[in-house]
Amino acid sequence: MQLEENVHIALHALLDHKFRSFLTMLGIIFGVASVIAMLSIGEGAKREAIAKYQDLGVSNVIVREKKMTSAELEEVRSKFSPGLSLSDAAAIMDVVPDVEQIAPQAEKEAEVKFADKSARSTVIGITPTFIKILNYETENGGFITQEQYDAKAKVCILGAGLARLFFPDSDPLGQMVKIEDQWLEVIGVMKPKALFTETVGELSSRDLNNDVYLPLSTFNTRFMKENVLSSEIQQITIKVKHSDRLPETSSLIRSLLHRHHFNNEDFNIVIPYELLKQEEKERQIYNILLGAIAAISLIVGGIGIMNIMLATVMERTREIGIRRAIGARKADIMSQFVTEAVALSITGGIIGVILGVTLSLSITWFTDVTTYIQLYSVFVAFAFSVLVGISFGYLPARNAANLKPIESIRYE
Amino acid sequence: MLIEIKKLDKDYVMGDIVVPALMDININIAQNEYVAIMGPSGSGKSTLMNILGCLDTPSRGEYLFNGVDVNSLDDDHLSIMRNKEIGFIFQTFNLLPKLSSLHNVELPLIYAGYSKDERFERAREALRRVGLEDRMMHKPSELSGGQRQRVAVARALVTKPGILLADEPTGALDSKTGVEIMALFDELHREGNTLIVITHEREIAEYSRRIIYIKDGRIFSDEPNPKKI
Ligand SMILES: Nc1ncnc2c1ncn2[C@@H]1O[C@H](COP(=O)(O)OP(=O)(O)OP(=O)(O)O)[C@@H](O)[C@H]1O
Ligand SMILES: [Mg+2]
Repeated sequence: MQLEENVHIALHALLDHKFRSFLTMLGIIFGVASVIAMLSIGEGAKREAIAKYQDLGVSNVIVREKKMTSAELEEVRSKFSPGLSLSDAAAIMDVVPDVEQIAPQAEKEAEVKFADKSARSTVIGITPTFIKILNYETENGGFITQEQYDAKAKVCILGAGLARLFFPDSDPLGQMVKIEDQWLEVIGVMKPKALFTETVGELSSRDLNNDVYLPLSTFNTRFMKENVLSSEIQQITIKVKHSDRLPETSSLIRSLLHRHHFNNEDFNIVIPYELLKQEEKERQIYNILLGAIAAISLIVGGIGIMNIMLATVMERTREIGIRRAIGARKADIMSQFVTEAVALSITGGIIGVILGVTLSLSITWFTDVTTYIQLYSVFVAFAFSVLVGISFGYLPARNAANLKPIESIRYE
Repeated sequence: MLIEIKKLDKDYVMGDIVVPALMDININIAQNEYVAIMGPSGSGKSTLMNILGCLDTPSRGEYLFNGVDVNSLDDDHLSIMRNKEIGFIFQTFNLLPKLSSLHNVELPLIYAGYSKDERFERAREALRRVGLEDRMMHKPSELSGGQRQRVAVARALVTKPGILLADEPTGALDSKTGVEIMALFDELHREGNTLIVITHEREIAEYSRRIIYIKDGRIFSDEPNPKKI
């Protein structure tokens, strides 16, 4: 029999009992809606995490000075650890095989001033490799060049927030800002960065848009250390060639630094990629749980459809008998009722998709949970609803097809 | 021979009890015959008709339709037989209540796999044949009893079957409307159709050319209708 006729019959059956059909579809509607909403929440969280770790570099190993009280600092110094230093960085570059680039950085909290405005910010001394290793880009002007670095030029790059604060409607390039007692020329402005709201390992949360970057050479010659015991640098960012060898590379770096620091534990190693994986693993458990809930509601929806289809087949025994008497084969009856079940589940699926999309958009709108709807998830949810229709419509349809023509046509 | 039935029996099995409904039935029916089957209530007329119409199967015996052994056909082929070779007309019409006359008449063609245009043409032609071309879009509930039976006749005719089987086609109609239906059957017979009609009523049977009496599941008599010779 032709599909068109089947669809015609199915839609009529559906519309003849609108309310009953709607109740039947509820399970599918909620099942599909929850699949879409849950997948969009999961995907939103994943994307947020990826963005966060991408900022830190997924093929990077970050060595960071441990936060210590002055007593602890005195103790490690007395045990001969010089703290993180440029020679550590050089050693890593020389000894560890899989290193592609390395970027040491020194940091200091300081007051930055322009005209009558001032802001407390993190002043960061870096090397020209920094921008290549981290996912940073300038929005205006350029980054520190090797020449400027070698010349210990008194130049700086402002974070986007700082630039907006100091130069709301003028061009910051070429302007002079004052940090402590030093005047520095602004040669670039960073692109705005997402707020770093969570502490990742030893990297505490802060607004990266308030940072000021200048050549590490300049930093080390022009600025005083916070404390005589302070290390030369606070962080070394290492980009590796093969991220699949991150664990080995990082343990090599760890043992190397241990030796250099005379077995003092005065540094931490953060591997953004590992943290990303770990977070993914945690999310996976949550995803499995949500997936199970969605699957259960789809199955419950399917049972609802099966139930109503069994009743429909009973009600329409005589119709089935008539159709058989005028030449419908078993397969024709079978496909008629499967089509009917699928029509129910597809309609439920469509309503569910609309509800699910609305749901995840409103979640983003009304809460600070990020959601992201992937087209594939809509297709998956929809495909599942069709599958549910076919599989739960099968049994009632087979019952219908197996009715004896002569008995069903006499059925009252 | 269009239909050859030899030593056919039909038993109904109800639990442990076997109820014989037909016994030792032998009938031959040729092309373009017009046969009436008569007999008291419960004699087995409908049982025979259902077997003739491939809706039911005999317990024993032989049934050849156009030389084809119907007993050897599987369910799909029986369906195809019902679709292409048999036009069934029921006492209670058995139309689908939610469909228009046109759609009801189109149904056998849908199962036969005709295209939409062809279906429409043939169904309209069949409805014109029974004088209901102007009622194509009416649902059964919007038609009189006689009109409903005409739609049912159109549905039976539409695939141009080898035989038309009518089980008390006038049983649910008043006598005037019944006569109209019988007049239609007469025309169909003259046009070359083969008809078998079950009836209780002498007047209805008089339209036929041959009358078979069934009593207690057996053929009591099988003779030409003297009034039509
Ligand atoms: N499905 C069935 N199960 C059991 N017995 C049946 C069944 N159908 C018919 N019978 C029996 O078979 C016999 C013949 O029935 P059938 O319906 O063929 O009679 P009929 O001649 O058509 O009667 P009527 O004129 O009242 O329609 C009856 O005794 C009836 O009780
Ligand atoms: Mg009967």
